Amino acid sequence: MTPHLILQALQNSALAAAIRGESEPIRLTYWLFPIIEIGHVLSIALVFGSVFMVDVRLLGLAERNSTVTQVSREILPYTWTAFGCAVLTGSLLFVSKAEQYVHNLQFQLKFLFMFLAGVNMLIFHRGVYRRVLDWDRALPPPTGARIAGALSIMLWIAVIFMGRWIGFTTNQ
Amino acid sequence: MEPTLHTWADRLAATHVSMWLYMRPWAIATSQSIHIVMLSVVFGCAVVINLRLLGVNAGGRSLSTLVRTLVPWIYGSLLVLLATGVVQTVAEPVREFVAPAFWAKMAMVLMAVLLTACFARAVKRHHERWDSASSRPRSAVLIAVVSLVLWIAIIFCGRIIAYTWEFYA
Repeated sequence: MTPHLILQALQNSALAAAIRGESEPIRLTYWLFPIIEIGHVLSIALVFGSVFMVDVRLLGLAERNSTVTQVSREILPYTWTAFGCAVLTGSLLFVSKAEQYVHNLQFQLKFLFMFLAGVNMLIFHRGVYRRVLDWDRALPPPTGARIAGALSIMLWIAVIFMGRWIGFTTNQ
Repeated sequence: MEPTLHTWADRLAATHVSMWLYMRPWAIATSQSIHIVMLSVVFGCAVVINLRLLGVNAGGRSLSTLVRTLVPWIYGSLLVLLATGVVQTVAEPVREFVAPAFWAKMAMVLMAVLLTACFARAVKRHHERWDSASSRPRSAVLIAVVSLVLWIAIIFCGRIIAYTWEFYA
C-alpha cells in the first residue's frame, strides 16, 4: 500500500465520515468534530501551560525559589499526560481529512516545529541536564539551559500558531 | 433583548476599525493564536493549583508557593486574553453578540476570576493553614472542582461559538 492509498483508506473510513459530520444522524455527528477539537484545545493548553512553567524556570525568570528538578518533577507528568491526549484527539481530527491535512503547508510546519521541539528537548537532556544537580539552584542557570528554555517556548508557540492556521487554510 | 444586541453588533460592525479587521483574516487568526497561547498559561496554572488542592503532588512545593508564583501569571495572561478577545469581538461583533455561548463564557470568566481572587487572598492570609492538607478548610475541594469546571467550560464555550453562532444570526 502506498502512503497515498493509506490516507485515502483512512479518510474513506466510517469513523472519518462520522467525524466529518456526514453520517446519520447528522444532528449528532455534527458535534463530533467540535467536541474532539475542544478536547484537543484543552490538551494542547495543558501541554503548553505546563511546559512553559518549566521553561521559565530554565530561563531563571521566575519560580526562582524552587529548584529546576523540583519544578520539572512536579510539572512534566502533566505535560506528558496532556501530550498523550493531544495525540489521541489530534489523530481523530487528522483521520477526518487525512489527504487534505498532509498537503496543508501549516500542518507540515506544525509537525516540523514539534519535531524541532523534540530535538531541542533531547539535546538538553543528553547535555546540560545530565549535571543538573550542579546547577539546580544556580541563578542564572547555565547558558545551555537558558537556550533550551527559550527555544522550547518559541517552538511551542509556533506549533500553536500553525495549529490555529490549519483551521483557516482547510475546507470545513 | 435580542434585537437590541443585534443592533449594537451591526453598529459596531459598521465602524472602520471593525471593517479593517474583518477584511484581514490573518489579523483575526493571529489574535486567536495569541489568545490560545495565553489561555494555555491560565489553564496550566489553574490545573496545577487545583489538582494540588485535590491531593496531587502532595509532596511537592507548598500550595502557598504555587499560589504566590502562578496566580500573578493568571492575572497577567487574562489582560492579554481581554485585549485579544476585544480584537476578535470588534472584528466579528455579530458572531459573538448573538451566540449564547459567548455570554455564558463572559459570565463564567467573571466567576472564575472572582473565585481565583478570593481563594488567592485567603491562601496568602492564612498560608500555614492552607499549606497542610489536614488543616485546610473543607471548602478547598469544592473550590478546586468548581474552578476546574469553570475553566474547562470557558474554553468549551469559546470554541463552540464558531459552530453555533450561525444558528442565532
